[in-house]
Amino acid sequence: MDSILKFDNVSKIYSNGTQALKNVSFSVNEGEFISVIGPSGSGKSTILRSINKLIDISSGEIYFDGDTVSVQKGKNLRHMRRKIGMIFQNYNLVYSLSVLQNVLHGCLGYMNGISGVLGNYSEEDKKRALSLLQELGMKQFCYNRASDLSGGQKQRVGIARAIMQNPKLLLCDEPIASLDPSSAKTIMDLLKDMTHKRNIACIVNLHQLDAALKYSTRIIGLSKGTVIFDGAPSEMTDDVIESIYGTSRENLMMGGAENE
Amino acid sequence: MENTLTNSDIYTDSGNLSPRKITVGCKDKNKFIPRFMIGVLLLAVVSLVYLNIDWLKIAGRIPQIGTVFFKLAHFDFGNIGLIGSAILETVSIAVLSLLYSLVLGIVFGMLAARNITKIKWFSVATQSFFTFLRAVPTPIWVLLMLVCLGMGPEAGVAGLCVHTTAFFTKSFAQSFESISDETLEALEVTGTGRLSVFTNAVIPAAFSQIIAWTGMRLETNFSECAILGMVGAGGVGFVISRNLQNYQYGTAGLAILFVFIIAYLIERLFVAIKKKIQ
Repeated sequence: MDSILKFDNVSKIYSNGTQALKNVSFSVNEGEFISVIGPSGSGKSTILRSINKLIDISSGEIYFDGDTVSVQKGKNLRHMRRKIGMIFQNYNLVYSLSVLQNVLHGCLGYMNGISGVLGNYSEEDKKRALSLLQELGMKQFCYNRASDLSGGQKQRVGIARAIMQNPKLLLCDEPIASLDPSSAKTIMDLLKDMTHKRNIACIVNLHQLDAALKYSTRIIGLSKGTVIFDGAPSEMTDDVIESIYGTSRENLMMGGAENE
Repeated sequence: MENTLTNSDIYTDSGNLSPRKITVGCKDKNKFIPRFMIGVLLLAVVSLVYLNIDWLKIAGRIPQIGTVFFKLAHFDFGNIGLIGSAILETVSIAVLSLLYSLVLGIVFGMLAARNITKIKWFSVATQSFFTFLRAVPTPIWVLLMLVCLGMGPEAGVAGLCVHTTAFFTKSFAQSFESISDETLEALEVTGTGRLSVFTNAVIPAAFSQIIAWTGMRLETNFSECAILGMVGAGGVGFVISRNLQNYQYGTAGLAILFVFIIAYLIERLFVAIKKKIQ
């Protein structure tokens, strides 16, 4: 399997002095489904956002698909970014537009100059967007305003927009943090299914330990900016969990063993 | 005993323990408000003294007002063709300046919106420049344009454009800035260029606000346009001022009536448009 993403001794210190990442190193292979877990402020978001250069790192290097991330700018940065899909906790759709238009935003990065500015999507792209929506069970809503959807439906549009980019890597920043348990399950199932079928590597920031254990092929555990666990879910022992969160596993599971 | 009010419970004007009238306002009144009122009153007195206005003498001329309005109400339809074309010219100047400014306002609004340009000093510089343009009243811009471009509607359109563009730049930039950074970020990470993000996400999100600002501005532009004719920029204002100066009250009165009707229609139209959008 080919490595498509590599963190080499990456550190990030914010201008206010907070050290968000300390010498983080790991690599991601094609088709992996990786969960990044850790308490708030442990650096999960910083990892995700440094991959597509929403955040500049302080030292070390990130390599994505053969490119050095930190030196990318302008057109090259845009070309790199379109190979990386991203979905967000708050969906971040354009709510005054239709579901279909929001999905089509995913291919704007591939359109040149004037047709991109005018939003002149090709019929092929439209067909692809519709079939993606169908795959996600959202086809009947394609002409609805994005603002009229429920949270789970909005996130499905978010997934469609990201997959529309034909990405090699999908970054998910707390994708289920704003959703009810049943929608959260649907979203995790869809994420896993869609990325697996297309051999897209997926990195998911999660607060829900049970979801991380259930869906991931690999888990990265962070604490105070340091990677303290990197391995398969089966290797995740109670001791490891305690060292990540600083509290016992029982205290993390609301209502005890409901997820077992 | 417990139900009886003692003197010490009650706050009075004099603050002592013998209540005559019970105070009902807040204990800590804003002391600035009475001072402000006294300041305004003093300024008014000073202005009156400076201008040396003799209100008694003016009061003696009040019947004149009745006479003038009486004469204005005797419409003279002899020059209806002239009035009609002047009104059309005024509406055209208002609409044209509105359309040009709409395009310019979107472009400059984009440059002035902090979340889109992302170069802070540039946005601040753009906004400051247009604030300066707005601080100078429209008739002065029109006079300047008259000097540059000569008499006629061109100067009217150009002069109105300056002010309207400045107005649109500020209001559109505000509308654009109200779009969440997260939404813009979501499109940026798809590798979409800055301009495409603007046209595909920001404009649709701000569209209804743009329409509302435009409708509001058409009203203002029309009424300003009616004034501008008086300084020589063409349109109905010129007809009104010339006829008043020549004591042609009937013609002037009819022109004023037209201005009123058109302004009212534009307002009704704007209300209808606003309802349709929401």
